Amino acid sequence: MLADLPILSLITFSPLLGLLVLLFLPKQRSRWIKVTAITATLLPLLLSLWLYADYNGVKGGKPYEETATWISTSLNKEAVGDVSSYTLELQYHMGVDGLSMPLLLLTTIVGVMAALASVHIKKRWKSFYIWFLLLEVGMIGVFLARDVFLFFVFFEMTLIPMFFLIGIWGYMNREQAANKFLIYNGIGSAIMLLAFVFLVATAGFRADPLPDQQQMHLSYSGSYDVIGSNLADKDAYVNMPQLAQGADNPLYLSDRMHWVIFLLLLIAFGIKLPIFPFHTWMLKVHAEAPPSVVMIHSGVLLKMGAYGLLRFGVFMFPSQTHDWATVLAILGVINILYGAVLALVQKEFKLVLAYSSISHMGIVLLGIASLNEIGLHGAIIQLVSHGFISALLFLIVGSIYARTGSTELKDLGGLARSMPFLSGVLLTAGMASLGLPGLSGFIGEFLSLLGLFDSMRVITGIAVLGVILTAVYVLRSVLGITFGAVPERLAAVRDVRLVEAVPMIALLAFIVLIGVYPAVLTEPMQHGFDTLLQQLSEKAGR
Amino acid sequence: MDTTFSQAAWLIPLFPLAAFLLLLAFGRSSRMIGVLLGSVSSLAGFVLSLLVLIEHMTKGQHDYQYAVKWIDTGSIVFKAGFEVTNLTALMLVVVTAVSFLVNVYSAGYMKGDERISVFYSYVALFTFSMLGLVLADNMLTLYVFWELVGVCSFLLVGFWFSKPEARAAAKKAFIVTRIGDAGLLLGILLLYWYMPDHALDFVRIGNAFEGGTGVIAASVTTWIAILIFIGAVGKSGQFPLHVWLPDAMEGPTPISALIHAATMVAAGVYLVARTFDIFQASQTAMDIVAYIGGFTAIFAATIGVAQNDIKRILAYSTVSQLGYMMMALGLNSMTGGIFHLFTHAFFKALLFLGAGSVIHAVHTQNIQEMGGLGSKMKITAWTFGIGALALSGIPPFSGFWSKDMILNIAYHEKPALFVIGVVAAFFTAFYMARLFFLVFMGKPKGERHAHESPPSMTGPLIVLAVLAVVAGFVQTPWNDTLGNWLTDGAEQENGGGGLVMVISAAIGLLGLYMGWLVFVKGMISRDFVSSRAPWLVRLLERKYYIDELYEAAIVRPLRALGGLLNGIDDYVVDGLVRAAGGAAFLIGRGGTRMQNGQVQTYGLITAFALVILIAAVALRRFW
Amino acid sequence: MLSSYLTMAAILFCIGLYGALTKRNAVIVLLSIELMLNAVNLNLVAFSKYGVVPSLTGQMFTLFSIAVAAAEAAVGIAVLIALYRARGTVNVDDYDEMRR
Repeated sequence: MLADLPILSLITFSPLLGLLVLLFLPKQRSRWIKVTAITATLLPLLLSLWLYADYNGVKGGKPYEETATWISTSLNKEAVGDVSSYTLELQYHMGVDGLSMPLLLLTTIVGVMAALASVHIKKRWKSFYIWFLLLEVGMIGVFLARDVFLFFVFFEMTLIPMFFLIGIWGYMNREQAANKFLIYNGIGSAIMLLAFVFLVATAGFRADPLPDQQQMHLSYSGSYDVIGSNLADKDAYVNMPQLAQGADNPLYLSDRMHWVIFLLLLIAFGIKLPIFPFHTWMLKVHAEAPPSVVMIHSGVLLKMGAYGLLRFGVFMFPSQTHDWATVLAILGVINILYGAVLALVQKEFKLVLAYSSISHMGIVLLGIASLNEIGLHGAIIQLVSHGFISALLFLIVGSIYARTGSTELKDLGGLARSMPFLSGVLLTAGMASLGLPGLSGFIGEFLSLLGLFDSMRVITGIAVLGVILTAVYVLRSVLGITFGAVPERLAAVRDVRLVEAVPMIALLAFIVLIGVYPAVLTEPMQHGFDTLLQQLSEKAGR
Repeated sequence: MDTTFSQAAWLIPLFPLAAFLLLLAFGRSSRMIGVLLGSVSSLAGFVLSLLVLIEHMTKGQHDYQYAVKWIDTGSIVFKAGFEVTNLTALMLVVVTAVSFLVNVYSAGYMKGDERISVFYSYVALFTFSMLGLVLADNMLTLYVFWELVGVCSFLLVGFWFSKPEARAAAKKAFIVTRIGDAGLLLGILLLYWYMPDHALDFVRIGNAFEGGTGVIAASVTTWIAILIFIGAVGKSGQFPLHVWLPDAMEGPTPISALIHAATMVAAGVYLVARTFDIFQASQTAMDIVAYIGGFTAIFAATIGVAQNDIKRILAYSTVSQLGYMMMALGLNSMTGGIFHLFTHAFFKALLFLGAGSVIHAVHTQNIQEMGGLGSKMKITAWTFGIGALALSGIPPFSGFWSKDMILNIAYHEKPALFVIGVVAAFFTAFYMARLFFLVFMGKPKGERHAHESPPSMTGPLIVLAVLAVVAGFVQTPWNDTLGNWLTDGAEQENGGGGLVMVISAAIGLLGLYMGWLVFVKGMISRDFVSSRAPWLVRLLERKYYIDELYEAAIVRPLRALGGLLNGIDDYVVDGLVRAAGGAAFLIGRGGTRMQNGQVQTYGLITAFALVILIAAVALRRFW
Repeated sequence: MLSSYLTMAAILFCIGLYGALTKRNAVIVLLSIELMLNAVNLNLVAFSKYGVVPSLTGQMFTLFSIAVAAAEAAVGIAVLIALYRARGTVNVDDYDEMRR
């Protein structure tokens, strides 16, 4: 049943349906607009839950894929060796596998919650939700695309809505933050595009023999599978310096070029992740964007960086990753400790959370650097878990700001008295963030550290120090807000409304669910890393 | 062998969990619901634990273990499960018993608090976690509950969250134990990668390490043991991570009894006992455990002498007694450690609940402001006295037997630790005498009218007092019941330590007598020491300046580092970014300035560019 | 022998370049350009006599160059006069029509 539907395309583009309705709604009808938008985000959620249920049913079977030719032109290139003709074939190629399934769920869930949290938005609802739905299409597309150019298109599609969401609906310095966001990510995208062009031009082709069986026909495409298998295949054109007839192979990708592309990818996705020196833009976004947008940003957009790093950096260049595992791990540790120490001294709660995101993304890097099954699972679970946790935390930030008009730590205190529900949720979210077992943060953290410990003892030991520091800064800020004496100004604030409580409880439920029963994530991820692990063990065996 | 009840042991933690969930959902509807649910669930747990224990009393009873998949990544599986051994059965009973009594007691103590349901839900959550910790069949499951227990402790220490001291204490409790937890986590990581088949369950850990079969290299064993011990140090308040425990007394007093005296702080001792095979495989680790334990015992006992807060005195005595337990374990006697844990759980819970009764009556915690309460609060005074005698190690109270056993072992194994133990025992008796005489004897101070506490509070006191008297008889020099049962006859305790018994009893009595001389008879002036060596008293009052040391050595540098890095982040990292942006802007600015429409400027630029080009071409041959 | 001619030409060229780039009076700029052209001519002649492969081509080229320079000067002055009539100045700084 499900297999007959173009379910992936439906998931990706279903928010557009809401967008279409929104276009015809008068912009004063804020209630209608909100209901429409929230419904529109529910569509992909329901569809993706359906997909998830079905996906687990056919575990290990053929993954879902949808293909259609997007751009196809024949190229007028000189024949070299036994290759006589070329075509460029860019596919509309969507697919889901163990790596993207958890992130797809994360995206659709956080999408709904952020739409609900947008009730605090005070102006121009219509355009807000239009950008919001476009953003959601882009995010879902990024995780479902199976073609590098399609990926790139969706990736760029997230930038523009985000730029406006920050720039129009943000706080005081919103324009500056939006500019910084766009410039940084634009640079990242440019670097990524460069790497993709290199990849497609060399490794991204499929060779078909022409009818006469002597000559070959090459069709270029950006398919992950084609690029990946070509890079891994020792007998593929891309790994042969010279063709059969002794002519220089124009498709040959030298070892140095492998490294160049790997580094380009590392920088491109490192900006998004963000890795240490490239992190300043996201601080601004965390501090200036409206909380519901930060939920999306911190909850999903940062994950695109890690996803890209895994999908392209690690899966396509396992041997480079293997050689640089130590570097990645050190970068991860720097992220963890740097983020933690800086979170310790921030005076503004949103910045504490921003630095804590940096710290938590460091754990993802550790998981990736471990390059074994445990660590990679840990990295993915940490991604999803941090997505939920930071979405929840910013949801709370939004509610606090709506009531108190401040997120400065010195202005807040004793909220547990007037807002017991919100404080309880905040405390639990903080606990999840510092990796309390039974909540989702622990699973990701534990598996990442466990995976890394096998190869890098000392680095793991230092990273564990970060675990302590995490506790320190989380408690400092969370207790500062909820415990202590109540300032007079805050004595009368009311606890959360139902529309705010529902997403909080939902997110909390997911956090607890993953923490108690991690199989919800690990099950679809099974067989997700098989080929990569096989390549890595070959590399280690060599 | 019949294992009906052991198979159902997993239900024991579920009672309080159910109570917690129900309280979370309906807690606000009624004030009594908390008392009811909390007491009933812990009573149910207690009954089932007792049945399990009785079942395990039969000779040759097998351990029962059951586990399910928890984290499954395809080829690697982490399980979660429970295991009932003699040790866990004993701990189950101790935890549920104390928990039940504290639940009952709190009904009276917390009566006036508006958040009583929240209190009961936290206690239920704690009981759940502690029972889960006890029942866990592998290191990972244990770690999960270990952390949960820490959080519950944190929540309860910070229960009166409006008080800044409570907030600070809660934070400190969590962070300091977290340091220990990080050690434990590393220990688990190390264990995982070295264990055959990456097994983490205690049965296979025991098999791998038992008798030094050399499955795992000696140095690795030592590392694992030390890392696990760091976890235990954090939780059980051993030096140098003891600093959180006295501060944790900011929580409600029943909590101090349940968590910070009887059960949770004993978790560290329990952990070492549970992984005893690892420690036994490494003599170095054992020595570290023994010496840290011994040092903590005397260190905390001396601080206890100079404190004035009734709960803090008891807190330091807890730290000190936990030191004894660790020392016993380090001296290769699991029986000694667990026996003392067992007796200590009862008499220390008794002391704390008694102290709670006193605080409830006089609304102060400073013993200098109390006095003459003995006549007004007879039950409290008598039961507290029994607890104090048990703690001081006076025969035939339970504390005597367990302490005597530890001292006896130390006497045979490491005489130096024996001396330390004896001196610490003297201080223990002395500060308990000081506490008792100042609070219950002498003239009443303060205006408040003190009265005896309600039956819901005195009832648990009486039960605990009975236990504090009789609990010691499960293991005496003539009767090796506990040791035989606990270790399957592996540990033969040296009997006939007549000399040690006499010394131990005498030193306890001497301490009490000194206390009596100073604080009742006044034969020795109270400021005998403070007038001669004020620095010594101040040193003890300030707890050897450990907190100040940490503040100066860790907290401040860390904060300074944070400030420094913050500056770097703002000005260097972000500055570089701004500089890059600024450079682009400047280049653009320069570009527009060059395009000024003056042909001569264009010509000049062209000429310069030409010169550079020529120079480049000309110089190229040189590299 | 060749080097002294070349040095002379280089000096002449530099003077011309300096004048062309710095003088404000358009007439002087034109004159400076003539100087630079003459420096080139000097080079051509010098190479045709003392070059590695001496030939008449250089001298012929010089004649061409002089003729072109004369034409250029005529056109240049004509443009200049037209500009002067239109703008009333010979200051090159004011000739920035391209930028406006």
